Amino acid sequence: MAQATAVNLSETTAQPKAWAGGRSPFNVSYGKIMMWFFLLSDAFTFGAFLISYGTKRYFSAVWPDPNHVFHSAPFFPADAQLPLLFVSLMTFILILSSVTMVLAVHAGHYGDRKGVVKWLLWTIVGGIAFLGCQAWEWTHLALSNGGLMGAFDDPATPLSKIEHFFAPASNIAAYPREALEATGNFFNFFFGITGFHGFHVSVGVILLIMVFLNAVNGTYERRGHYEMVEKIGLYWHFVDLVWVFVFTCFYLL
Amino acid sequence: MQNPHTDTAETLYEGDQSKLYSGVLAHHDLSELKGEASRKQVSRIWKITLLLAIVTILEVSLGLYGHYQGVHVGVRNFFFIIMTIIKAFYIVKVFMHLGDEFKNFVTLVLIPLVLFVWFIIAFLADGAHWLHMNQTDPTRFDNKTEQAVPAKSPAKTPAPALQ
Repeated sequence: MAQATAVNLSETTAQPKAWAGGRSPFNVSYGKIMMWFFLLSDAFTFGAFLISYGTKRYFSAVWPDPNHVFHSAPFFPADAQLPLLFVSLMTFILILSSVTMVLAVHAGHYGDRKGVVKWLLWTIVGGIAFLGCQAWEWTHLALSNGGLMGAFDDPATPLSKIEHFFAPASNIAAYPREALEATGNFFNFFFGITGFHGFHVSVGVILLIMVFLNAVNGTYERRGHYEMVEKIGLYWHFVDLVWVFVFTCFYLL
Repeated sequence: MQNPHTDTAETLYEGDQSKLYSGVLAHHDLSELKGEASRKQVSRIWKITLLLAIVTILEVSLGLYGHYQGVHVGVRNFFFIIMTIIKAFYIVKVFMHLGDEFKNFVTLVLIPLVLFVWFIIAFLADGAHWLHMNQTDPTRFDNKTEQAVPAKSPAKTPAPALQ
């Protein structure tokens, strides 16, 4: 029977006219194509955010130095100078959760329910760990800045409150108002963009838990394939991909 | 359990397309999980993991070196952008399996991203131009001219009515 269907399928996919109907010219199911298109549109949303951040940055004569802004890590004294340490940890967590996701997809290709369940569980753990790290970083910054977005909107804020965000070499005394405006912009964009990304991660974790429960209950085994794992996997890798760009734009450049 | 292999391609196209294209009809049994093709793919995934880790470590090292020792900003940023693109390329190609799709589908997904080229150039140039105007045009609102202008400037002349 399997033999007969395989022949039938190859006959169908070997039609000379790709767009004549009756099959996907891309050999991809509707649901997966739509996930790709959604991610493409989401890429432009994130891209627009990051590019507007870049515009504001080019617009400003001075700009906070990320190595001075993000210098803390949990379990270290608050004034420890540890640039890039904590965010590197977050990046590794997200990359590893992407790896466990692709391993879940791989297990799904072979109908290996145990493997899918195991790797999805690790991916969920990674996602929650990343969100925990972000919660710590947000709390830390909000407490030390006196709020989330809009913490530096007051034009009377003294320079002494913001000068530790800048590299000593950048001459902020010459641009006091621009320095204040730049600090406000920096944090508003930071909380806005990492918040939007964190929202995506949260949604991803919820979707992963749903897929995980379906896999445990044998829904996909009865259906005959694990393509839903693949679709959620595409979303999860995209979230990782966005973080690669957020990491570069906010912490490195 | 319903056997997926009893479906025909025609009924699946109107029904569960995913069965048609996810490879369940053609190959991939649980017994093949330990097979060579499967092991090869898993080792490829771990190789890409190692590559992503190495690239991230390089980025962080250069970031720290630049912070403590100082590196020319242009050189540093060029390196960071190249490294980011390398990471993005492998995540999309291997983890998202775009490399395994048909070529016309790959094109379909990647072509719209070309818009980013102009998007980035236009907006960064715009930001830079505003900075240039603010720093060079004395009538603009910047720190130095603000002190030179009396605190209470005369009432603005009403804007001409829009034509």
